[in-house]
Amino acid sequence: MAINEIKFCGRGGQGVVMASQMLGLAFFKAGMYPQCYPVFGGERRGAPVVSFLRVDKEKILLKCDIKQADELLYFDTTLINVEEIRGLMRPGGRILLSTSEPVSDLEGISEHTLGLVDAPAIARKLGLGHVINTAILGAYCRFSNLLSMDHLISAIEEIVPAKREENMEAARQGYGELIITSA
Amino acid sequence: MKKFISGNHAVAEAVRLCRTQIVAAYPITPQTPIYEKLSELEAGGELGGIMMRMESEHSAMAACLSASLPGVRTFTATSSQGLALMHEMLHFASGSRSSVVMANVNRTLAAPWAFWSDQTDSLSQRDTGWIQIYCEDNQEALDSVIQAFRIAEKVLLPCMVVLEAHYISHFMEPVDVPDQTQVDRFVPPVDIPRRFEVDNPRFSLGVVNQKQYRDFRRLSQEAMELALEVIEDVDKEFARTFGRGYGMVEAVDTEDADLVLVTTATITSTARATLPILRKKGLKIGLVKIRVFRPFPTQALRKILDSVSKIAVIERNISLGREGIFCSELKAALANSPVRQQIQGYLAGIGGTDVDPGMIERIVVDAMERKEAMDGPIWMTE
Repeated sequence: MAINEIKFCGRGGQGVVMASQMLGLAFFKAGMYPQCYPVFGGERRGAPVVSFLRVDKEKILLKCDIKQADELLYFDTTLINVEEIRGLMRPGGRILLSTSEPVSDLEGISEHTLGLVDAPAIARKLGLGHVINTAILGAYCRFSNLLSMDHLISAIEEIVPAKREENMEAARQGYGELIITSA
Repeated sequence: MKKFISGNHAVAEAVRLCRTQIVAAYPITPQTPIYEKLSELEAGGELGGIMMRMESEHSAMAACLSASLPGVRTFTATSSQGLALMHEMLHFASGSRSSVVMANVNRTLAAPWAFWSDQTDSLSQRDTGWIQIYCEDNQEALDSVIQAFRIAEKVLLPCMVVLEAHYISHFMEPVDVPDQTQVDRFVPPVDIPRRFEVDNPRFSLGVVNQKQYRDFRRLSQEAMELALEVIEDVDKEFARTFGRGYGMVEAVDTEDADLVLVTTATITSTARATLPILRKKGLKIGLVKIRVFRPFPTQALRKILDSVSKIAVIERNISLGREGIFCSELKAALANSPVRQQIQGYLAGIGGTDVDPGMIERIVVDAMERKEAMDGPIWMTE
């Protein structure tokens, strides 16, 4: 199936839902058909938040939940759940982690390609506080190789409500600082 | 111009494009983004009309009705408990032959309290005399609101455009937002009878005797019958203008089908994606989408389904003590079909639970193997 299904996991305040919408908009600008949905519950700062994005070349008819993903983005390594990864990820799937420390204890998911980016450090440096989404999406562009940075930058410019320049710079730095740990 | 927007946002765009003069509403999840977007448009000077921020949904409908009677184009949006609170005024809006247009985002009714898609809120308003249109995606939500103004202002009955919580209200997808000039040509300035003069106020809803009441009901029923034609005509003109049409019902691959699925709203879209998978497995399955619930398109459905012997109705609602509401309606519509039919109801997605291609396939397998239909519904679970 040409369809690409992506899950975003993070915490309230990190810009998780906005990240999925921004990436959807970037794919839309690239001429693809994105379909994005957040899962709302009792969000508050610090509580786990998930959002989803489907992308295809053709119109997406499915109006149901994403239960299998090709790509998984963790905004916080404390949310990593190896059992969830086993159930969720399709073979050959990619996992992008925002982390400040080397990741060593991911036994059982070694068949997936891992991407690491220190998004909190980039966000801190640029005065973006806890909002690490643009740095992660910059890293995602290089990690997935499905989307050009131009489309992401254009999407950030369109929908980021504040600190546009800093967010565009965070995306560029995220792109530059991605580390790929091959399967 | 194509935009990447939610179904709620698409509805707000349609309300703006139709140059709606009065929007009277009260926020409720998951409809609130419609209210917020319209407020934002008003603040930016893009709405053209006036937003009235009401103290309740009951008042919102009273305001819309009061604005419609002097000949103003009006809109409101609500969901679930909000629609239930409006119930009394819904009868007033149709009985006084207003042209109010409303978007209802299908959401579970309390109790217990929840936020997810379930059609029982709008289907519970079946007998209020409102036209009801059910949408399967964001584009159809936008297009149906544009059509609704044309329909409501022609037949002089209010029109409810129904979109599902989550799967439309909060799903973001590419949506073609038409040009203002194109919409202006399709939806000209409002021209409905002015039955109330603000500067010369009079009582506008008279007290009638028994025969007069009966005759008014009959006129409303005739308007519903006329609506069947108007909805088709408006949709055809819409298709000529914008390149997209929907019909009151739609048949997909029904000609050679051994089993026809009957669906509404977003389950239709997922079923569309499932049909080719089933065909590859040698299962000849057709699909009928019911888009318009009131007036019920009996003739259009009979034309497609009269000769079909196996039908499975899949729906996200229940009339407690009976079955899915579309199933009951369909059985009644096909009661005079010449062929003996096996019509089985399946409750799928109640409470906003997930209906995926796998569940649709399980329903197909069950319906194909079933020798006799059960009178009650079959509950589908994960």
